[in-house]
Amino acid sequence: MKKFFILLVALGVPVIGICGSTPAYTENITAENGSNFLILAAADSDADSKETIVAEDDFTDDELLFLDEDEEFLDVYDPLEPINRGIFWFNDKLYFYLLKPVAKGYRWVMPEPLMLGIGNFFSNLASPMRMINAGLQGKFGDAGNELTRFAVNTTIGIGGFFDTAKDHFNLKKKDEDSGQTLGYYGIGPGPYLVLPFFGPSSFRDGVGLLADSRMDLTYYLWEDRDYWAAIALRTVNTVALDKDTYEGIKRDALDPYLFIRDAWTQYRKNLVDN
Amino acid sequence: MFKQLFLTLFAGMLLAMTSVAIAGASPTDSIRGSVDSILALLQDKEMDKTIRREKIGEVISERFDFRAMSQRTLATNWKSASKEQQQEFVQLFSKLIENTYIGRVEAYTDEKVDYPGEKVKGKKAVVETLILTASADIPVNYKVYKKNDKWWVYDVIIEGISLISNYRSSYQEIVKKEGFDGLIAKMKAKIKELENQPQPA
Repeated sequence: MKKFFILLVALGVPVIGICGSTPAYTENITAENGSNFLILAAADSDADSKETIVAEDDFTDDELLFLDEDEEFLDVYDPLEPINRGIFWFNDKLYFYLLKPVAKGYRWVMPEPLMLGIGNFFSNLASPMRMINAGLQGKFGDAGNELTRFAVNTTIGIGGFFDTAKDHFNLKKKDEDSGQTLGYYGIGPGPYLVLPFFGPSSFRDGVGLLADSRMDLTYYLWEDRDYWAAIALRTVNTVALDKDTYEGIKRDALDPYLFIRDAWTQYRKNLVDN
Repeated sequence: MFKQLFLTLFAGMLLAMTSVAIAGASPTDSIRGSVDSILALLQDKEMDKTIRREKIGEVISERFDFRAMSQRTLATNWKSASKEQQQEFVQLFSKLIENTYIGRVEAYTDEKVDYPGEKVKGKKAVVETLILTASADIPVNYKVYKKNDKWWVYDVIIEGISLISNYRSSYQEIVKKEGFDGLIAKMKAKIKELENQPQPA
Protein backbone atom coordinates (compact mmCIF):
# COMPACT_ATOMS: atom_id res chain seq x y z
CA MET A 1 0.00 0.00 0.00
CA LYS A 2 2.80 2.37 0.83
CA LYS A 3 4.32 2.00 -2.59
CA PHE A 4 0.98 2.88 -4.05
CA PHE A 5 0.75 6.02 -1.98
CA ILE A 6 4.32 6.93 -2.73
CA LEU A 7 3.45 6.57 -6.37
CA LEU A 8 0.48 8.83 -5.99
CA VAL A 9 2.39 11.53 -4.18
CA ALA A 10 5.70 10.79 -5.79
CA LEU A 11 5.95 14.23 -7.28
CA GLY A 12 5.45 17.80 -6.31
CA VAL A 13 2.59 19.79 -7.76
CA PRO A 14 1.71 23.45 -7.46
CA VAL A 15 -1.41 23.61 -5.39
CA ILE A 16 -3.30 26.83 -5.12
CA GLY A 17 -5.12 26.67 -1.87
CA ILE A 18 -5.06 27.77 1.66
CA CYS A 19 -4.29 25.23 4.28
CA GLY A 20 -7.42 24.63 6.24
CA SER A 21 -7.14 24.16 9.95
CA THR A 22 -10.34 22.15 10.09
CA PRO A 23 -9.58 18.73 11.47
CA ALA A 24 -10.34 16.11 8.86
CA TYR A 25 -10.80 13.53 11.50
CA THR A 26 -12.53 13.62 14.80
CA GLU A 27 -12.22 11.33 17.70
CA ASN A 28 -15.28 9.23 17.92
CA ILE A 29 -15.06 6.61 20.57
CA THR A 30 -18.34 4.84 20.55
CA ALA A 31 -19.56 2.96 23.50
CA GLU A 32 -22.99 1.69 22.67
CA ASN A 33 -25.13 -0.16 25.08
CA GLY A 34 -26.70 -2.97 23.18
CA SER A 35 -28.95 -5.62 24.52
CA ASN A 36 -27.54 -8.94 25.52
CA PHE A 37 -27.88 -11.65 23.01
CA LEU A 38 -25.85 -14.20 21.18
CA ILE A 39 -26.49 -13.32 17.65
CA LEU A 40 -25.64 -16.50 15.85
CA ALA A 41 -27.05 -18.75 18.50
CA ALA A 42 -30.35 -18.29 16.71
CA ALA A 43 -31.76 -21.63 15.66
CA ASP A 44 -30.59 -22.28 12.16
CA SER A 45 -30.68 -25.86 11.02
CA ASP A 46 -28.49 -25.47 7.95
CA ALA A 47 -25.77 -23.62 9.75
CA ASP A 48 -22.61 -23.56 7.70
CA SER A 49 -19.07 -23.87 8.97
CA LYS A 50 -18.74 -20.11 9.59
CA GLU A 51 -21.18 -20.28 12.44
CA THR A 52 -19.21 -22.83 14.37
CA ILE A 53 -16.88 -20.02 15.38
CA VAL A 54 -19.56 -18.78 17.73
CA ALA A 55 -19.36 -20.85 20.85
CA GLU A 56 -21.89 -20.86 23.65
CA ASP A 57 -19.68 -19.01 26.04
CA ASP A 58 -19.05 -16.25 23.52
CA PHE A 59 -18.70 -12.66 24.51
CA THR A 60 -21.92 -10.75 24.25
CA ASP A 61 -22.11 -7.48 22.36
CA ASP A 62 -21.67 -5.43 25.51
CA GLU A 63 -18.69 -7.44 26.62
CA LEU A 64 -17.04 -6.87 23.28
CA LEU A 65 -17.10 -3.13 23.83
CA PHE A 66 -13.76 -3.36 25.62
CA LEU A 67 -12.24 -3.81 22.17
CA ASP A 68 -13.21 -0.23 21.35
CA GLU A 69 -11.44 1.24 24.38
CA ASP A 70 -8.51 3.50 23.47
CA GLU A 71 -9.57 3.34 19.84
CA GLU A 72 -9.89 6.25 17.50
CA PHE A 73 -12.16 6.01 14.53
CA LEU A 74 -11.90 8.28 11.57
CA ASP A 75 -14.52 10.65 10.34
CA VAL A 76 -13.09 12.13 7.17
CA TYR A 77 -13.93 15.70 6.21
CA ASP A 78 -14.72 15.60 2.49
CA PRO A 79 -16.88 18.56 1.45
CA LEU A 80 -15.49 18.44 -2.09
CA GLU A 81 -16.58 14.85 -2.66
CA PRO A 82 -18.36 15.39 -6.01
CA ILE A 83 -15.32 17.12 -7.52
CA ASN A 84 -12.95 14.64 -5.89
CA ARG A 85 -14.88 11.73 -7.34
CA GLY A 86 -14.60 13.30 -10.78
CA ILE A 87 -10.84 13.63 -10.48
CA PHE A 88 -10.64 10.13 -9.01
CA TRP A 89 -12.41 8.82 -12.11
CA PHE A 90 -9.94 10.70 -14.32
CA ASN A 91 -6.93 9.30 -12.44
CA ASP A 92 -8.41 5.82 -12.65
CA LYS A 93 -8.63 6.02 -16.45
CA LEU A 94 -5.18 7.53 -16.62
CA TYR A 95 -3.83 4.61 -14.60
CA PHE A 96 -5.47 1.83 -16.59
CA TYR A 97 -5.13 3.27 -20.09
CA LEU A 98 -1.77 4.99 -19.94
CA LEU A 99 0.36 4.35 -16.87
CA LYS A 100 -0.29 0.63 -16.44
CA PRO A 101 0.31 -0.42 -20.06
CA VAL A 102 3.55 1.60 -20.13
CA ALA A 103 4.64 0.09 -16.81
CA LYS A 104 3.89 -3.42 -18.09
CA GLY A 105 6.10 -2.94 -21.14
CA TYR A 106 8.77 -1.39 -18.94
CA ARG A 107 8.67 -4.34 -16.54
CA TRP A 108 8.96 -6.71 -19.45
CA VAL A 109 12.25 -5.22 -20.67
CA MET A 110 13.76 -4.21 -17.33
CA PRO A 111 15.44 -6.68 -14.97
CA GLU A 112 14.16 -6.28 -11.42
CA PRO A 113 17.54 -5.36 -9.83
CA LEU A 114 17.76 -2.46 -12.27
CA MET A 115 14.26 -1.28 -11.33
CA LEU A 116 15.14 -1.50 -7.63
CA GLY A 117 18.31 0.49 -8.35
CA ILE A 118 16.37 3.22 -10.13
CA GLY A 119 13.93 3.34 -7.23
CA ASN A 120 16.84 3.71 -4.80
CA PHE A 121 18.39 6.38 -6.98
CA PHE A 122 15.31 8.63 -6.87
CA SER A 123 14.77 7.89 -3.21
CA ASN A 124 18.32 9.04 -2.52
CA LEU A 125 17.72 12.30 -4.38
CA ALA A 126 14.81 12.94 -2.01
CA SER A 127 17.06 12.37 1.00
CA PRO A 128 17.64 16.12 1.68
CA MET A 129 13.86 16.56 1.80
CA ARG A 130 13.53 13.90 4.51
CA MET A 131 16.53 15.33 6.37
CA ILE A 132 15.20 18.90 6.40
CA ASN A 133 11.75 17.80 7.53
CA ALA A 134 13.08 15.55 10.28
CA GLY A 135 15.15 18.53 11.46
CA LEU A 136 12.19 20.92 11.33
CA GLN A 137 10.30 18.54 13.61
CA GLY A 138 13.18 18.50 16.08
CA LYS A 139 14.04 14.88 15.24
CA PHE A 140 17.76 15.52 15.03
CA GLY A 141 18.67 11.87 15.37
CA ASP A 142 16.57 11.04 12.31
CA ALA A 143 18.01 14.02 10.44
CA GLY A 144 21.52 12.78 11.21
CA ASN A 145 20.55 9.30 10.14
CA GLU A 146 19.30 10.66 6.82
CA LEU A 147 22.49 12.70 6.34
CA THR A 148 24.60 9.59 6.92
CA ARG A 149 22.40 7.58 4.58
CA PHE A 150 22.79 10.22 1.88
CA ALA A 151 26.57 10.34 2.28
CA VAL A 152 26.93 6.55 2.28
CA ASN A 153 24.53 5.82 -0.56
CA THR A 154 25.78 8.61 -2.80
CA THR A 155 29.39 7.39 -2.49
CA ILE A 156 29.59 3.67 -1.69
CA GLY A 157 26.09 3.14 -3.09
CA ILE A 158 27.24 4.58 -6.44
CA GLY A 159 25.12 7.68 -6.76
CA GLY A 160 22.30 6.20 -4.70
CA PHE A 161 21.75 3.22 -6.94
CA PHE A 162 22.26 0.88 -4.00
CA ASP A 163 20.83 1.34 -0.52
CA THR A 164 24.14 0.42 1.08
CA ALA A 165 23.22 2.30 4.25
CA LYS A 166 20.30 -0.04 4.83
CA ASP A 167 21.87 -3.25 3.52
CA HIS A 168 25.22 -3.00 5.27
CA PHE A 169 24.89 -0.45 8.07
CA ASN A 170 21.27 -1.08 9.05
CA LEU A 171 20.40 2.59 8.64
CA LYS A 172 16.81 2.51 7.49
CA LYS A 173 14.92 5.22 5.67
CA LYS A 174 12.23 6.97 7.68
CA ASP A 175 9.56 8.75 5.68
CA GLU A 176 9.29 12.43 6.41
CA ASP A 177 7.79 15.20 4.32
CA SER A 178 6.53 18.76 4.59
CA GLY A 179 2.93 17.68 5.13
CA GLN A 180 4.05 15.80 8.23
CA THR A 181 6.05 18.81 9.39
CA LEU A 182 2.97 21.05 9.08
CA GLY A 183 1.00 18.40 10.96
CA TYR A 184 3.67 18.32 13.64
CA TYR A 185 3.05 22.03 14.26
CA GLY A 186 -0.63 21.39 14.76
CA ILE A 187 -1.98 22.17 11.31
CA GLY A 188 -4.84 19.83 10.47
CA PRO A 189 -5.15 18.23 7.04
CA GLY A 190 -8.13 20.33 6.01
CA PRO A 191 -10.55 19.01 3.40
CA TYR A 192 -9.63 15.81 1.62
CA LEU A 193 -8.43 16.44 -1.89
CA VAL A 194 -7.89 14.25 -4.93
CA LEU A 195 -5.30 15.83 -7.20
CA PRO A 196 -5.24 15.13 -10.92
CA PHE A 197 -2.22 12.89 -11.71
CA PHE A 198 -1.06 12.85 -8.08
CA GLY A 199 -3.96 11.14 -6.36
CA PRO A 200 -5.18 11.36 -2.77
CA SER A 201 -4.08 14.33 -0.70
CA SER A 202 -5.41 17.09 1.49
CA PHE A 203 -5.11 20.88 1.48
CA ARG A 204 -2.23 20.63 3.92
CA ASP A 205 -0.44 17.77 2.19
CA GLY A 206 -0.93 19.41 -1.21
CA VAL A 207 1.00 22.45 0.00
CA GLY A 208 3.52 20.06 1.53
CA LEU A 209 3.94 18.33 -1.81
CA LEU A 210 4.92 21.58 -3.49
CA ALA A 211 7.48 22.30 -0.78
CA ASP A 212 8.81 18.73 -1.00
CA SER A 213 9.45 19.00 -4.71
CA ARG A 214 11.70 22.01 -4.05
CA MET A 215 13.76 20.08 -1.48
CA ASP A 216 14.19 17.14 -3.83
CA LEU A 217 17.43 17.15 -5.80
CA THR A 218 15.57 15.86 -8.85
CA TYR A 219 14.27 19.43 -9.24
CA TYR A 220 17.80 20.86 -9.45
CA LEU A 221 19.40 18.18 -11.60
CA TRP A 222 17.14 18.58 -14.60
CA GLU A 223 15.17 21.34 -16.22
CA ASP A 224 11.86 21.61 -18.02
CA ARG A 225 11.25 18.61 -20.25
CA ASP A 226 14.10 16.61 -18.77
CA TYR A 227 12.69 17.13 -15.30
CA TRP A 228 9.29 15.82 -16.29
CA ALA A 229 10.91 12.91 -18.12
CA ALA A 230 12.74 12.04 -14.89
CA ILE A 231 9.48 12.31 -12.95
CA ALA A 232 7.76 10.08 -15.53
CA LEU A 233 10.52 7.49 -15.23
CA ARG A 234 10.26 7.54 -11.44
CA THR A 235 6.50 7.06 -11.63
CA VAL A 236 6.59 4.25 -14.19
CA ASN A 237 9.34 2.54 -12.20
CA THR A 238 7.25 2.68 -9.03
CA VAL A 239 4.18 1.27 -10.77
CA ALA A 240 6.26 -1.49 -12.38
CA LEU A 241 7.57 -2.56 -8.97
CA ASP A 242 4.14 -2.41 -7.32
CA LYS A 243 2.21 -5.64 -6.92
CA ASP A 244 -1.08 -4.40 -8.30
CA THR A 245 -2.15 -2.70 -5.09
CA TYR A 246 -4.64 -0.47 -6.85
CA GLU A 247 -6.11 -3.37 -8.82
CA GLY A 248 -6.57 -5.22 -5.52
CA ILE A 249 -8.45 -2.30 -3.99
CA LYS A 250 -10.58 -1.89 -7.10
CA ARG A 251 -11.45 -5.56 -7.01
CA ASP A 252 -12.22 -5.89 -3.30
CA ALA A 253 -13.71 -2.61 -2.12
CA LEU A 254 -17.43 -1.87 -2.31
CA ASP A 255 -16.56 1.72 -3.12
CA PRO A 256 -12.89 2.18 -4.09
CA TYR A 257 -13.14 5.97 -3.74
CA LEU A 258 -14.20 5.70 -0.10
CA PHE A 259 -11.70 2.93 0.62
CA ILE A 260 -8.75 4.92 -0.69
CA ARG A 261 -9.92 8.15 0.92
CA ASP A 262 -10.22 6.55 4.34
CA ALA A 263 -7.02 4.54 4.01
CA TRP A 264 -5.10 7.61 2.89
CA THR A 265 -6.41 9.72 5.76
CA GLN A 266 -5.46 7.05 8.30
CA TYR A 267 -2.08 6.55 6.68
CA ARG A 268 -1.25 10.26 6.86
CA LYS A 269 -2.56 10.65 10.39
CA ASN A 270 -0.44 7.73 11.51
CA LEU A 271 2.66 9.27 9.93
CA VAL A 272 2.01 12.64 11.58
CA ASP A 273 1.40 11.04 14.98
CA ASN A 274 4.74 9.25 14.85
CA MET B 1 -2.32 -50.34 43.59
CA PHE B 2 0.63 -48.04 43.98
CA LYS B 3 1.33 -48.27 40.29
CA GLN B 4 -2.23 -47.32 39.44
CA LEU B 5 -2.11 -44.30 41.69
CA PHE B 6 1.15 -43.25 40.14
CA LEU B 7 -0.27 -43.60 36.65
CA THR B 8 -3.33 -41.58 37.54
CA LEU B 9 -1.18 -38.87 39.02
CA PHE B 10 1.07 -38.89 36.00
CA ALA B 11 -1.88 -38.69 33.61
CA GLY B 12 -3.36 -35.87 35.65
CA MET B 13 -0.07 -34.02 35.57
CA LEU B 14 0.19 -34.43 31.80
CA LEU B 15 -3.32 -33.13 31.37
CA ALA B 16 -2.61 -30.13 33.54
CA MET B 17 0.55 -29.43 31.59
CA THR B 18 -1.20 -29.55 28.23
CA SER B 19 -3.91 -27.16 29.32
CA VAL B 20 -1.28 -24.79 30.67
CA ALA B 21 0.53 -25.04 27.37
CA ILE B 22 -2.64 -24.18 25.45
CA ALA B 23 -3.53 -21.31 27.77
CA GLY B 24 0.03 -20.11 27.57
CA ALA B 25 0.25 -19.86 23.78
CA SER B 26 1.44 -16.31 23.28
CA PRO B 27 -0.33 -13.97 20.86
CA THR B 28 2.70 -14.06 18.58
CA ASP B 29 2.79 -17.87 18.56
CA SER B 30 -0.88 -17.92 17.62
CA ILE B 31 -0.45 -15.48 14.74
CA ARG B 32 2.74 -17.16 13.60
CA GLY B 33 0.94 -20.51 13.52
CA SER B 34 -1.81 -19.16 11.29
CA VAL B 35 0.51 -17.14 9.05
CA ASP B 36 2.82 -20.14 8.59
CA SER B 37 -0.10 -22.41 7.67
CA ILE B 38 -1.31 -19.87 5.11
CA LEU B 39 2.17 -19.39 3.63
CA ALA B 40 2.61 -23.16 3.40
CA LEU B 41 -0.69 -23.44 1.52
CA LEU B 42 0.27 -20.59 -0.79
CA GLN B 43 3.66 -22.11 -1.56
CA ASP B 44 2.17 -25.47 -2.47
CA LYS B 45 2.07 -24.89 -6.22
CA GLU B 46 0.52 -28.29 -6.93
CA MET B 47 -2.67 -27.55 -5.08
CA ASP B 48 -5.86 -26.68 -6.94
CA LYS B 49 -6.67 -22.99 -6.56
CA THR B 50 -10.21 -23.42 -5.35
CA ILE B 51 -9.19 -26.01 -2.76
CA ARG B 52 -6.31 -23.79 -1.66
CA ARG B 53 -8.62 -20.82 -1.14
CA GLU B 54 -11.00 -23.01 0.81
CA LYS B 55 -8.22 -24.27 3.07
CA ILE B 56 -6.87 -20.77 3.61
CA GLY B 57 -10.42 -19.72 4.44
CA GLU B 58 -10.55 -22.42 7.11
CA VAL B 59 -7.31 -21.25 8.70
CA ILE B 60 -8.58 -17.67 8.69
CA SER B 61 -11.95 -18.47 10.22
CA GLU B 62 -10.11 -20.30 13.02
CA ARG B 63 -8.21 -17.13 13.83
CA PHE B 64 -10.34 -14.16 12.78
CA ASP B 65 -13.35 -13.28 14.91
CA PHE B 66 -15.67 -12.12 12.15
CA ARG B 67 -18.50 -11.39 14.53
CA ALA B 68 -16.43 -8.97 16.62
CA MET B 69 -15.16 -7.42 13.39
CA SER B 70 -18.67 -7.04 12.03
CA GLN B 71 -19.95 -5.42 15.19
CA ARG B 72 -17.10 -2.95 15.27
CA THR B 73 -17.49 -2.16 11.59
CA LEU B 74 -21.19 -1.43 11.79
CA ALA B 75 -21.01 0.38 15.16
CA THR B 76 -24.41 2.06 15.71
CA ASN B 77 -25.87 0.33 12.68
CA TRP B 78 -25.19 -3.02 14.33
CA LYS B 79 -27.49 -2.15 17.19
CA SER B 80 -30.33 -1.03 14.97
CA ALA B 81 -30.09 -4.08 12.71
CA SER B 82 -32.27 -7.12 13.33
CA LYS B 83 -30.70 -10.43 14.36
CA GLU B 84 -31.23 -11.82 10.87
CA GLN B 85 -29.60 -8.77 9.32
CA GLN B 86 -26.65 -9.07 11.69
CA GLN B 87 -26.25 -12.73 10.87
CA GLU B 88 -26.38 -12.05 7.16
CA PHE B 89 -23.89 -9.23 7.52
CA VAL B 90 -21.40 -11.41 9.43
CA GLN B 91 -21.54 -14.04 6.69
CA LEU B 92 -21.09 -11.60 3.83
CA PHE B 93 -18.49 -9.55 5.65
CA SER B 94 -16.37 -12.58 6.53
CA LYS B 95 -16.35 -13.58 2.86
CA LEU B 96 -15.21 -10.12 1.80
CA ILE B 97 -12.53 -9.86 4.49
CA GLU B 98 -11.26 -13.32 3.60
CA ASN B 99 -11.05 -12.35 -0.03
CA THR B 100 -9.26 -9.09 0.64
CA TYR B 101 -6.83 -10.73 3.03
CA ILE B 102 -6.06 -13.68 0.75
CA GLY B 103 -5.75 -11.36 -2.23
CA ARG B 104 -3.13 -9.31 -0.41
CA VAL B 105 -1.11 -12.23 1.01
CA GLU B 106 -1.10 -13.98 -2.37
CA ALA B 107 0.94 -11.08 -3.75
CA TYR B 108 3.58 -11.70 -1.09
CA THR B 109 3.91 -15.49 -1.26
CA ASP B 110 7.66 -15.59 -1.55
CA GLU B 111 8.50 -12.94 1.04
CA LYS B 112 9.81 -13.49 4.52
CA VAL B 113 7.75 -12.53 7.57
CA ASP B 114 9.40 -11.17 10.69
CA TYR B 115 7.89 -10.93 14.17
CA PRO B 116 9.53 -7.92 15.84
CA GLY B 117 7.37 -7.98 18.95
CA GLU B 118 4.04 -7.98 20.73
CA LYS B 119 2.27 -5.78 23.25
CA VAL B 120 -0.09 -7.48 25.68
CA LYS B 121 -2.57 -5.47 27.72
CA GLY B 122 -4.85 -7.69 29.76
CA LYS B 123 -7.11 -9.62 27.40
CA LYS B 124 -5.97 -7.60 24.39
CA ALA B 125 -2.71 -7.68 22.48
CA VAL B 126 -1.07 -6.33 19.36
CA VAL B 127 1.19 -8.68 17.39
CA GLU B 128 3.64 -6.90 15.14
CA THR B 129 4.70 -8.54 11.90
CA LEU B 130 6.89 -7.25 9.13
CA ILE B 131 6.69 -8.47 5.53
CA LEU B 132 10.16 -8.12 4.07
CA THR B 133 10.00 -7.34 0.37
CA ALA B 134 12.81 -6.36 -1.97
CA SER B 135 11.84 -2.71 -2.13
CA ALA B 136 10.33 -2.09 1.33
CA ASP B 137 9.35 -3.65 4.65
CA ILE B 138 5.61 -3.60 5.17
CA PRO B 139 4.39 -3.53 8.77
CA VAL B 140 1.25 -5.62 9.34
CA ASN B 141 -0.05 -5.61 12.89
CA TYR B 142 -2.74 -7.92 14.22
CA LYS B 143 -5.01 -6.83 17.05
CA VAL B 144 -6.10 -9.86 19.03
CA TYR B 145 -8.18 -10.56 22.13
CA LYS B 146 -8.45 -13.60 24.32
CA LYS B 147 -11.61 -15.69 24.24
CA ASN B 148 -11.80 -19.22 25.61
CA ASP B 149 -8.02 -19.31 26.04
CA LYS B 150 -7.49 -18.55 22.40
CA TRP B 151 -6.30 -15.38 20.74
CA TRP B 152 -8.71 -14.06 18.12
CA VAL B 153 -7.93 -11.38 15.55
CA TYR B 154 -10.34 -8.44 15.61
CA ASP B 155 -8.41 -5.99 13.43
CA VAL B 156 -5.51 -5.97 10.97
CA ILE B 157 -3.41 -2.83 10.63
CA ILE B 158 -1.36 -2.49 7.46
CA GLU B 159 1.05 0.45 7.31
CA GLY B 160 -0.90 2.20 10.03
CA ILE B 161 -4.20 1.63 8.22
CA SER B 162 -6.75 -0.23 10.31
CA LEU B 163 -8.92 -2.43 8.11
CA ILE B 164 -11.86 -2.18 10.47
CA SER B 165 -11.61 1.58 10.81
CA ASN B 166 -11.56 1.77 7.04
CA TYR B 167 -14.56 -0.48 6.53
CA ARG B 168 -16.37 1.29 9.32
CA SER B 169 -16.03 4.68 7.71
CA SER B 170 -16.91 3.45 4.20
CA TYR B 171 -19.81 1.24 5.27
CA GLN B 172 -21.35 3.92 7.47
CA GLU B 173 -21.40 6.24 4.50
CA ILE B 174 -23.02 3.61 2.30
CA VAL B 175 -25.68 2.94 4.96
CA LYS B 176 -26.31 6.66 5.27
CA LYS B 177 -26.87 7.03 1.53
CA GLU B 178 -28.47 3.72 0.61
CA GLY B 179 -29.72 2.20 3.85
CA PHE B 180 -28.77 -1.10 5.45
CA ASP B 181 -30.45 -3.10 2.68
CA GLY B 182 -28.48 -1.11 0.14
CA LEU B 183 -25.25 -2.09 1.87
CA ILE B 184 -26.23 -5.77 1.97
CA ALA B 185 -27.15 -5.65 -1.73
CA LYS B 186 -23.79 -4.06 -2.57
CA MET B 187 -21.93 -6.73 -0.59
CA LYS B 188 -23.81 -9.54 -2.32
CA ALA B 189 -23.10 -8.05 -5.73
CA LYS B 190 -19.40 -7.71 -4.88
CA ILE B 191 -19.13 -11.31 -3.69
CA LYS B 192 -20.83 -12.55 -6.85
CA GLU B 193 -18.45 -10.47 -8.92
CA LEU B 194 -15.45 -11.89 -7.05
CA GLU B 195 -16.66 -15.45 -7.44
CA ASN B 196 -17.25 -15.14 -11.18
CA GLN B 197 -13.97 -13.45 -11.83
CA PRO B 198 -10.91 -15.60 -12.48
CA GLN B 199 -8.46 -15.34 -9.59
CA PRO B 200 -5.41 -13.24 -10.37
CA ALA B 201 -2.32 -15.34 -10.91
